[in-house]
Amino acid sequence: MRPLHSVVGQAAVLVGFLAAVSGAALLAVGLLRDRPDLRRQGRLHVFVVLGAAAVAALTMEHALLTHDFALRYVADNHSLSTPTIYTIASLWGALEGSILLWGLVLAGYLVAVAHRFRHRAVDPLVAWALVVGQTTAVFFFGLMLGPANPFRVVAGVVPTDGPGPNPLLQNHPLMAFHPPVLYLGYVGFTVPFAFAVAALVTGRVGEGWLLETRRWTLCAWGFLTAGIVLGAWWSYEVLGWGGYWAWDPVENASFLPWLTGTAFLHSVLVQERRGMLRVWNLSLVMATFSLTILGTFLTRSGVLDSVHAFTESPIGPAVLGFFAVVVAVGIGLIAWRGDQLRSPGAIDSPLSREGFFLANNLLFAAFAFVVLLGTVFPLIAEAVTGDRLSVGRPYFDRMTSPIALTLLFLMAVAPALPWRKASGEVLRHRLQWPAWAGTLVVVASVVAGIRGLGTLLAFGLGAFAAAAAVRQLVLSARRQGWGGVVGRANGGMVVHLGVVVIAVAVASGGSFAQRRELRLLPGDTARFAGHTVTYLGTEEVHHGNRTSAEAKVRIDGGKVYRPALSTFPFATQAIGTPSVRTSLRDDVYLTLLSAPRSASQPAVIGMRVLPLTVWLWIGGAMMALGTVMAAVPGARRRRPTEPASAPAGQSVPSAEPAPELVTT
Amino acid sequence: MARWSAAGVALVAVLLVTLLATREPAATQVASSALAGHAAPEIAGRELSGATLRLSSLRGRFVLVNFFATWCTPCQREHPELVKFTQRHLAADDVRVLAVIFDDDAANVRRFFAAEGGDWPVVADPRGKVALEYGVRGPPESFLVDPDGFVLTRIVGEVDADGLDRLLAQAGAARS
Amino acid sequence: MTSRLAWVALALVLLVALFVGARGDGSPPTDAERSARIARSVRCPTCRGLSAGESDAKAAVAVRDEIRRRVARGQSDDAIRAYLVSRYGDDILLAPPSSGVGLAVWALPAVAFVLGALGLAAAFVRWRRLTAVRPTSEDRALVAEARAP
Repeated sequence: MRPLHSVVGQAAVLVGFLAAVSGAALLAVGLLRDRPDLRRQGRLHVFVVLGAAAVAALTMEHALLTHDFALRYVADNHSLSTPTIYTIASLWGALEGSILLWGLVLAGYLVAVAHRFRHRAVDPLVAWALVVGQTTAVFFFGLMLGPANPFRVVAGVVPTDGPGPNPLLQNHPLMAFHPPVLYLGYVGFTVPFAFAVAALVTGRVGEGWLLETRRWTLCAWGFLTAGIVLGAWWSYEVLGWGGYWAWDPVENASFLPWLTGTAFLHSVLVQERRGMLRVWNLSLVMATFSLTILGTFLTRSGVLDSVHAFTESPIGPAVLGFFAVVVAVGIGLIAWRGDQLRSPGAIDSPLSREGFFLANNLLFAAFAFVVLLGTVFPLIAEAVTGDRLSVGRPYFDRMTSPIALTLLFLMAVAPALPWRKASGEVLRHRLQWPAWAGTLVVVASVVAGIRGLGTLLAFGLGAFAAAAAVRQLVLSARRQGWGGVVGRANGGMVVHLGVVVIAVAVASGGSFAQRRELRLLPGDTARFAGHTVTYLGTEEVHHGNRTSAEAKVRIDGGKVYRPALSTFPFATQAIGTPSVRTSLRDDVYLTLLSAPRSASQPAVIGMRVLPLTVWLWIGGAMMALGTVMAAVPGARRRRPTEPASAPAGQSVPSAEPAPELVTT
Repeated sequence: MARWSAAGVALVAVLLVTLLATREPAATQVASSALAGHAAPEIAGRELSGATLRLSSLRGRFVLVNFFATWCTPCQREHPELVKFTQRHLAADDVRVLAVIFDDDAANVRRFFAAEGGDWPVVADPRGKVALEYGVRGPPESFLVDPDGFVLTRIVGEVDADGLDRLLAQAGAARS
Repeated sequence: MTSRLAWVALALVLLVALFVGARGDGSPPTDAERSARIARSVRCPTCRGLSAGESDAKAAVAVRDEIRRRVARGQSDDAIRAYLVSRYGDDILLAPPSSGVGLAVWALPAVAFVLGALGLAAAFVRWRRLTAVRPTSEDRALVAEARAP
C-alpha cells in the first residue's frame, strides 16, 4: 500500500503535466487553425496547472510536517528534531523540492498572466505567450515525473527518523525567504520571454509586447535583485568567512540573468521612445531567460564545484537539452523575422540619453561576458589541456571593477542628459552640483587618510551618481509635488541610490576589513580595530536539532554574543555559526574557531571588523523600494509611443495601454 | 548583419552546449600528483603512543601513506579494508601503512582505532604541514611510496584491499 | 566663462586628490602585507573557491603559515606560488596565469569589449551620416526669400 502522500503528490504532478500539455496543444491548434474557441479553452488549463502544483506543494509540506519518512525526499531531508520553520523551508532545500517550487511559481505566473489579459483571451499574442509558458511548465513537470521526482517512496524499511536538512540550511531564518524570493525573480523572466516569442511568431514585433510586459519584467527583476541580496546576506550570516560574495558558480548563475535583465530594463526605454534596438532587446530577453536555464544547469548538474552543490543531480542532461532548445528557438525566430525588425530610426549623437543607454548596455554585456567566461573557464581549460584551472575572486574583481566604476559614471551623467542631443552647456549646468559633491568626497577621503585609487574612485563616483539622482528627485518633487516622486524615472533614481550605497559598502568592505585570531581564557579582554571584546567562557547547549559549544563574548561592554560550533547528529564535522554585532558604522563578526575542552584551555575566536556592511542590506532594500515606486504610475503620464514633442499635460488616466498597438 | 550575428551566437551556443555536455562531475575529478616520481617528502611526527616516527625509517619496503580523519565517511568505510590489507601482508612485511591525521584530534583517533582495530602507526600533523607538502585536498588520500622512498601513485578517495594488492603487485613487477 | 573656469578648477582639484590618494604612503609592503596578498591569491585547498586568506579551515591556516615562513626567508611571490602549485596543482591559484590557456580568460573579455565598442562607434558614425542635415542651395534660397523684408 503506497503512502497516501506519494499517491496524491504524484497524481497532482501528473495532472499538472497533462493539463500543461493539453493546454499548450489546444492553444497551438487554436492558433494555427484560427479557432478562437480552442484558444479560450486552452487558456483555462493554466488554472488546472496551478491547482495541481499547489496540491503537490501542499502535499509535500504536509508530508514534511507530519514526518512521513516513507517518502524518500522526507527521509533524506528531514528529521524529527528539525524546527518547524526549517521543516517548512526544506520544501525547497534539496533538488526535487526546488523543481517543485519552480513549477509552483511558474504556474502562479501563468495564472496571473491569463487573468491579467483575460479580456484579450483570444488575442494571438497572449495565446502564443501562454503556449510558451505552458511548454516551459511541461518541461518542469516532466522533470518531476522523471529524474527529479519528489514523491518517490523509500525502498525497503521505512526509517523512523532522518538526517534532517543540511546543517548549513538550518542555521538561519533567511533560508525561509531567499529561495522563494529568488525564484519569483528567476521564474518571472519566463513572462517577458514568452511574450517576446509570441511577438516574433505573430509578427507583431513593434513596441506592443514591450509595453504590455513592462511591469512584469520590472517585477521579476525586483524579485531577482531582492533574492540575490538575500542570498548574499544569508551567506554572510551563515558561512562564517565574513564575506557575502565569493563569485561562486551558483552566485554567478543568479547574477548573469540580473545583468542582462538590467541592460534590458534600460534599453527598452530607447525602444519605447525611438522604436529602435528591436533585435537587441529581443536578444536580451531571450538571453535572460536562457541564462536562468543555464544557471539551473550549472548549479544542479555538478559539473562545477559550488557551495550550492549539496545534491548530486540526475537532471543535468535534461536541463542542458532544454537550454539548447530555448537558445535555438530564440536565434531561429530572430533570424526568421530579421527583416521586419529593422527600424528606420537613428541616434543623433552619442552625447544623449539614448547614447548613454547604449553605452550602459555595452558595459552590462561585457560584465555578463566576464562573469560567464570566468564561471565556465575551468571547464574550457580542462577540455583543452586536461588540467583544471581555478577562476576566483582575484580574476572577477580585477575584471569587473573598471566596468562597475564606469557604470557609476554613466549612472551619474545619464539622468542629466536630454534625449536626442545634449549641448555641453546644458550638461555643465545640470551636473555642476553633483560634480562638486563627487570631488569634495574624494578630497575629504584623501584628507581622512583613505588611500587606493579604486576605493577613491568608487567613493567619488558614488557621490557624483547619488547627487545626480537626488537632484532628479528634488526637481520632480518641486515640479509635481509628492505624487511626482513615484513613477518610472524617479523609481529608477531611488534604485540608483541603492546601487550607490551598495557600491560604497562593497568598496569599503574590500579595502578596510580587518581580522585577527584571538586566543582567550575566560575573563580575558582584547582590543582590536577600535573594539573591545571580553571572553566570558564557553558553554554547551543542547538544542532540538544540534549540540552547540557556544562561546560567550561581550563586545564593547554591551551585549553578549555567542559564536558557536555545532554538531548535528548525522553530520560529520562541526559546523561553525558566526555571531555578528551590527551597527551602522561596522560589523563585529565573531567565529568560534576552536572550542576549549576544559576550563583551562583557551578558546580560539576569530574576530573580524567589517565596515559599513549593514549598508549592503539597506542598499538592497532601497533598490526594492525603488522598484515598487517605478511600478506605480507617475503623476503625469504620456503614452510612451507619442513623440516627445506632444503637448504637456496630456495624460492617460488608465494604467493599461490601448489593446491593439500597430507595428511599423 | 543580423544573420551574421545570429550565426555567430549560434556557433558559440553550440560550442558551449557541447562543452557542458561532455564534462564529468567535479566531484570525481582527480588531479594528478606533482609528486609522482619524486622523492616522498619526509614525515617526522609524533605517533599516538608518543614516540617520534620518521617515514625514512621505513625505507626498504613499500609504504602506503594514508591521510585520514575520523569525521570523514569514506575514511570510515576504508578502515576495515586497510585492516584487511595490513593483515594480508603481515607475514611478508613488504608493505607498511603509515597514517597521518588530517584535521582531527588525537583523542578522537585513539578512540576510533580502539573501537575499529588497526595497529599501524598514526602520526599527528597538528599544523597541517605534512598535508600541505603532499598536496592533500581532503581525506582520504593515500600515496604509495616505493622502497627507495619515491612516490609511485596517489589515490584520491577510499581504498580497498584488493585494489591495493593489485597496485602493489604492479609496482613489484615493475621493479624486478 | 566663469562656469568653464570653475570646471577646470574642479578637474584640477580632483586630479590632485586622486594622484595623492593613489600613490599610497610609498613604503614597500611589509611581510605581513605580502603574506596576506599572496594568501588571497591562492585557494584554500579544502574549500570551494575561498582563498587561503579568507578561510579559517585548517588547510588554509597551514598554507598561510607556509607562505609566512617563505616570505620571511625572502622568497619572491612567484616562487612561493610556484611551490604551492608544485604541491596542489595548477588550480590552487585563484586567477589563471596569463600564459598558456589561461591567457584566454584575460584576453577574451578585452577583445570582446573592444569589438563591441568599435561596433557601437561604427553604428554612431552610420547614424550621424543618416541624420546629418546639409542645407542645399534650394534651402538657402527658400530661407533668403522668407527673410526678405
